[in-house]
Amino acid sequence: MKKLKYITLSLLTLGMVACENELVQDLRDRANTNDEPLPELTTGTADFSNYVAVGASFTAGFTDNALFIAAQENSFPNIIASKFALAGGGVFNQPLMNDNFGGLAVGGNRITDPRLVFGGAGPVPLEAVIGPVTVSTDIAVNNPTGPFNNLGIPGAKSFHLVAPGYGNLANFPAAANPYAVRVTGNTPNASILELAMAQSPTFVTISEVGGNDVLGYATTGGDGTNPITPTATFDASLNALVAGLTANGAQGVIGNLPNITSLSHFTTVPHNPLDPSNPDFGPLIPTLNSLFGALNGVYAFLESQGAIDDAAERTIIFSETEASAVVIVDENLANISTLITQTLLANPAFPAFLAQFGLPPEAAPQVAGLLGVVYGQSRQATADDLFVLPSSSVIGTVNEDFFAFLQSQGLPPAVAGQFSVEGVTLPLEDKWALVPEEQAEIAVATEAYNGTISAVASANGLALVDLNSILVEASTTGIMFDDFNMNTDLVFGGLVSLDGIHLTARGYALMANSFLKAIDATYGSNFEASGNLAKAGDYPTNYSPSLQ
Amino acid sequence: MLFCVVSFAQTTVKGKITDNTGLPLPGANIVVVGTSSGTVSDFDGNYTLIIDQDPPFSIRVSYTGFEAQTIEITTNDQTVDVTLQEGNTLDEVVISASRTPERIFESPVTVERFGLKEIKNTASVDFYDGLENLKGVDINTNSLTFKSINTRGFATFANTRFVQLVDGMDNSAPALNFPLGNLLGMTETDVLSVELLPGASSALYGANAFNGILFMRSKNPFDHSGISGYVKRGITSQEAAGDNPYTDLGIRMAYKFSEKFAAKVNFGYLKGTDWFAVNEEDKLNRGLTRDDPDYDGINVYGDEVSTDINDVAQTLESLGLAPPGSSALVPSQNVSRTGYNERDLTNYNAESIKADWGLYFRPWENDFEIQYVGKVGSGNTIYQGANRYNIKNFFLQQHKLEVRNNNFFVRGYVTEDKAGDSYDMVFTGININRAWKDDQTWFGEYVGAYIGATLGGATDAQAHAAARTQADTGRYLPGTPEYEAAFNRSINDPDLSTGSKFQDNSKIYHADANYNFGDMIDFAEIQVGGSYRTYKLNSSGTIYTDNNGPILYSEVGVYTQLQRSLEVSESVELKLTGSIRYDKSELFDGFFSPRLSAGFTINEDHNIRASYQTGFRNPTTQDLYIGLDVGRAILVGGAPDNPARDIRNYDLSTNGTAITGQTNINFDGTGAYNNSFFANSVSTFGETMNPADLQIANSNLAQPEQVSSFELGYRGKFDGLIIDASAYYNQYQDFLANETVIAPFYGDVQLTQTLPGGTPLAVAAIANGDWQAYQTYTNSDEEVNSYGAAIQVSTKVLGDFDLSANYTYAKLDFDVNQNPDFRTNFNTPEHKVKASFGNTELFKNFGFNVSWRWSDNFFWEASFGDGEVPAYHVLDAQINFRIPSLKSTFKAGATNLLQDEYFTAFGTGLIGSQYYVSWTINNL
Repeated sequence: MKKLKYITLSLLTLGMVACENELVQDLRDRANTNDEPLPELTTGTADFSNYVAVGASFTAGFTDNALFIAAQENSFPNIIASKFALAGGGVFNQPLMNDNFGGLAVGGNRITDPRLVFGGAGPVPLEAVIGPVTVSTDIAVNNPTGPFNNLGIPGAKSFHLVAPGYGNLANFPAAANPYAVRVTGNTPNASILELAMAQSPTFVTISEVGGNDVLGYATTGGDGTNPITPTATFDASLNALVAGLTANGAQGVIGNLPNITSLSHFTTVPHNPLDPSNPDFGPLIPTLNSLFGALNGVYAFLESQGAIDDAAERTIIFSETEASAVVIVDENLANISTLITQTLLANPAFPAFLAQFGLPPEAAPQVAGLLGVVYGQSRQATADDLFVLPSSSVIGTVNEDFFAFLQSQGLPPAVAGQFSVEGVTLPLEDKWALVPEEQAEIAVATEAYNGTISAVASANGLALVDLNSILVEASTTGIMFDDFNMNTDLVFGGLVSLDGIHLTARGYALMANSFLKAIDATYGSNFEASGNLAKAGDYPTNYSPSLQ
Repeated sequence: MLFCVVSFAQTTVKGKITDNTGLPLPGANIVVVGTSSGTVSDFDGNYTLIIDQDPPFSIRVSYTGFEAQTIEITTNDQTVDVTLQEGNTLDEVVISASRTPERIFESPVTVERFGLKEIKNTASVDFYDGLENLKGVDINTNSLTFKSINTRGFATFANTRFVQLVDGMDNSAPALNFPLGNLLGMTETDVLSVELLPGASSALYGANAFNGILFMRSKNPFDHSGISGYVKRGITSQEAAGDNPYTDLGIRMAYKFSEKFAAKVNFGYLKGTDWFAVNEEDKLNRGLTRDDPDYDGINVYGDEVSTDINDVAQTLESLGLAPPGSSALVPSQNVSRTGYNERDLTNYNAESIKADWGLYFRPWENDFEIQYVGKVGSGNTIYQGANRYNIKNFFLQQHKLEVRNNNFFVRGYVTEDKAGDSYDMVFTGININRAWKDDQTWFGEYVGAYIGATLGGATDAQAHAAARTQADTGRYLPGTPEYEAAFNRSINDPDLSTGSKFQDNSKIYHADANYNFGDMIDFAEIQVGGSYRTYKLNSSGTIYTDNNGPILYSEVGVYTQLQRSLEVSESVELKLTGSIRYDKSELFDGFFSPRLSAGFTINEDHNIRASYQTGFRNPTTQDLYIGLDVGRAILVGGAPDNPARDIRNYDLSTNGTAITGQTNINFDGTGAYNNSFFANSVSTFGETMNPADLQIANSNLAQPEQVSSFELGYRGKFDGLIIDASAYYNQYQDFLANETVIAPFYGDVQLTQTLPGGTPLAVAAIANGDWQAYQTYTNSDEEVNSYGAAIQVSTKVLGDFDLSANYTYAKLDFDVNQNPDFRTNFNTPEHKVKASFGNTELFKNFGFNVSWRWSDNFFWEASFGDGEVPAYHVLDAQINFRIPSLKSTFKAGATNLLQDEYFTAFGTGLIGSQYYVSWTINNL
């Protein structure tokens, strides 16, 4: 009986060795707001051991109109490489600049300026904030030694990447790129492709090849000084590039081209920036409408005579209540300079018109001639026209050259000044604007390039990143990146850096993720599923002016 | 002449009743067998019995906790000294199980008893804490002085499913609907016995006797007169709070003026320092710290205020306060304000003052008695409900008039509470912040600084840090005069948008009656009874929808019970008990609660019982009539007439103005109950923008919840071994539950009303932000089951040492994964083991006791927050020394001797150790 007593008592303590309680576990799981544990990172069939990135400014990490150390560290290939490092990737060497100012020098002479910074309202040069700096990256003095995994050459067009001597200082500036000069090391005539091939990469990214082939045309307003690369040239270059890079069986991913006209460089300046509430502009509107009234009369007359059929398009009116469009030169309009001059001179009221401006009747032929020249191909801009970012600092200012010219033609300074206002009395030159016809050229070329890129990708088994649709999404609805809804607005959009073309670090992180996702899809890796994509919050949108 | 023989026999018996240690037993019953004549021993154990009967006859001497003795009286003027042997626990008499005295052994349902002996021997700091050592009993520790008792699971600190009766009076505060532990209860020296019925017992005790019911009975001054008292001093020791002094004293003065009249007065005072609650972990189990933007610390208040900063940025943009487009730089992420630690919002003063008095009148010097009892109590403690409250100068008073004899009672009482200076510590934190800088400004500054930092080159984390620093610049720091001023303004302001005062002055009027026909009917023992209760809610619109004056409502119930014993055979006796009760609240349909039980007693040493019991719980006063805006939602009670009384005015959005043609709208709580979506589905809709994801909520109005309980039990005596075991299976229906719903200000949730373009009006209202979130009070459709068992074994070992151990098993039978939105608040460990070892007479006048408790880990769910409670061991011990000549007992004890701090509920302070010495006089 005594024994029973102790057995019974000790049985009661059996609860002590109870196994883990299922209910507690269920409740714990339910309350746990952390996400499910993620699977381990796997590489699939990919070999990330030796990764080389080939491309242009995006690959380099160009941002805020410059290349500098911090930006290079946030280049999209470097972000990708940091993820590859988790999956067997090796060291990723970049041709780091010498400072965080950005800008280049040759033998002590500055050839490009330091970066832009946020100046309180918009982009301003770094030196406007912190004073003059010495650009210390000198392509004649302190080029780093390679080889470099990051072969992104800002400004390179497709055919440049396969061109020997493009990185030879001796060819600079005529046929060499200063950024290419920095990566060639002791093989100055090696092409970028050869530099890449020499490293026997196992994995490559090929990005924005073809971008500069249209970008140069676009940033010059399609004025012809920087033509679009013919498609055939592009095709040949890309094929050579990809064939070379994959000759030894390298795997890789290639990005297609966004339609660059949706970048903020082209979308920030509105077609109608002329605000009647602006005290420098508003009071002038009646005078301007009086002047253009005469001109509009000429257009109407010419149309009534059947000489032209686009009088309405050419008609210029400034609203006193709403913002008005700027006046531009559109080379697609028929040049009617002579007709204008003739019509004005034939008009008996023209001397009286001149008198308004204090000009004597004798000036009539000369003034009529000038008006004909200036307005022979002009019209007011429409929402379909795009303006390059630098035009914002030109519109509404007096064109000094033209001002001087008019004075040289004998016009009094006051009148000369009145007729020299950019975008108002002086139609904006072709280089400031992309009219629809020019945009179409860019779109056609981009589409053709992308067709080639897609074909080359599938022919070589490369993953393809559709950067084009990513930019479309960003520029229309905005694109979600973690908790951030990023768009292509300049300064505040979060995606595009202060130069309006290149990306912010956060934008490059988004780009890196799009490459990683494409790699996942093609090679069976799981960067996305395993939670190894870049996090938006870890990448800034701006760089501090005090960063040196 | 007639020869008249007057048979005037009078026999006197006298003597002294003592226990086996020689101590006198005051209040022992001496009854002539077969009659109702008898007497009670006096304070020194002496008795004198004068009876109109000639010897021989028998007297039966009984005393609670001792084995009764029957003694033959053969001559007049005989002196009979009786030494009673301490009985075992099963011989103790309980009243609550059948509303009539019976031995525990024969009780038809599970019942626990905590009597004078247990009070004397407990190692806990007081008798109330000592209840924790009973099998099946959970004590959830709110704070040092507010312990919440429960049995069989499903409890939070607001334990509205458990009833506590003190001399028949419901001890719960009308505003709270639950008792504040023993804060306003009884003084220890006045306690006669404590009984506890685990499980449902509505058949006898009506509404809310659902999880269990605790009975505390005081000493009647006719039976227990004299002056007694205790003083207890010591320290509480906790890592966060340090060592703090602790004083508890009580005095009882009772005097029997005559056989007709007696009176008593009790007074108790306690002062100490509460357990500091300093848990700074993330309340939502996300593992965040204050370095994270949306941190919400468990005991940090003010950081509950949280908002999506991208929304703020868009607002700033639309107001021209942020550059156009800059919201793209601001993540769509919640950020919380910086909170204050709880310790800066309370002084943790634990204090209670309680007094009661009673006048007892026996006009015919028999068992017919008229009582008036008054009780008042005021206390300071911490209560954790939806938020954590500093209960400060809370005042409760009760007045009872009762007429009774051995067969019946009629009583009526009133309970009134006053919230005093009590305040909500969470809202105090929130509103100190707001008094300094309103939310809009704070978040605006935060976002402005975030954008600025981002443009200056900061990463997300750096921008958040800079933004918080900027927004918090000039924040009131604890200890500064401006902080104190804001604190004081907040705790004196009952409007929760600006203050945190808890304002209430509600009342309950209650009447009870019971008649026991036991003496009149032989066939069976029959009882009938009934009760009536009226609530008067009066918070002046601060808690309830009683802006226009107090809310009154009533409920009534009647019951009857039949109990019959049958001799089945020589050795087997069967006791059948059946009870039924009918309840009707003016708000709900009436219904019946039955109880049936059968108990077999075999060979007098074994008892097997089976029972079926039911319980129900009416929605609490808050469930019914609350109307409180707590920021994240408006709590709107589920009484039929309540939602319509919660009327508030809202500004409509620009789109909403265009749709409705008005710029603002008066909207009441009926929308929550008849035109609402589930809040979760609205969140889903926010992500998918698919109207098909919207689920109609339309919460039902609150109804009583119900439980059916099946129970089996065994009690038995083996040689020296006493076993008491039970097992139960409970089925719950119509669990009272909350739903969070969103009511659109326009448009029907069936989506039949549409805008011209085809967009449903209600969807437009959601999209436009023209809606209000409500927490409704309703019943769940889910059936919840639970089962469990408890067994206690006690014995004497090593001669005279008491050893007992018990094990409690409790299991929730509910699929959490299938019901992701339903919270049962089971809050009970699956396994619990308790043991105690002691000796009341280790050597002369010296005793000791050691108690040990182990609780398995469990998961706590309550409105304040959810989190795991780890397993813990607690060891309590006491030694005591009696000095009979001084009628004194000295006790030195310690709780949580292992000094391993633990907690029994998520959100409270850690429970430290208590060390005390006490001196009790005249309570032998």
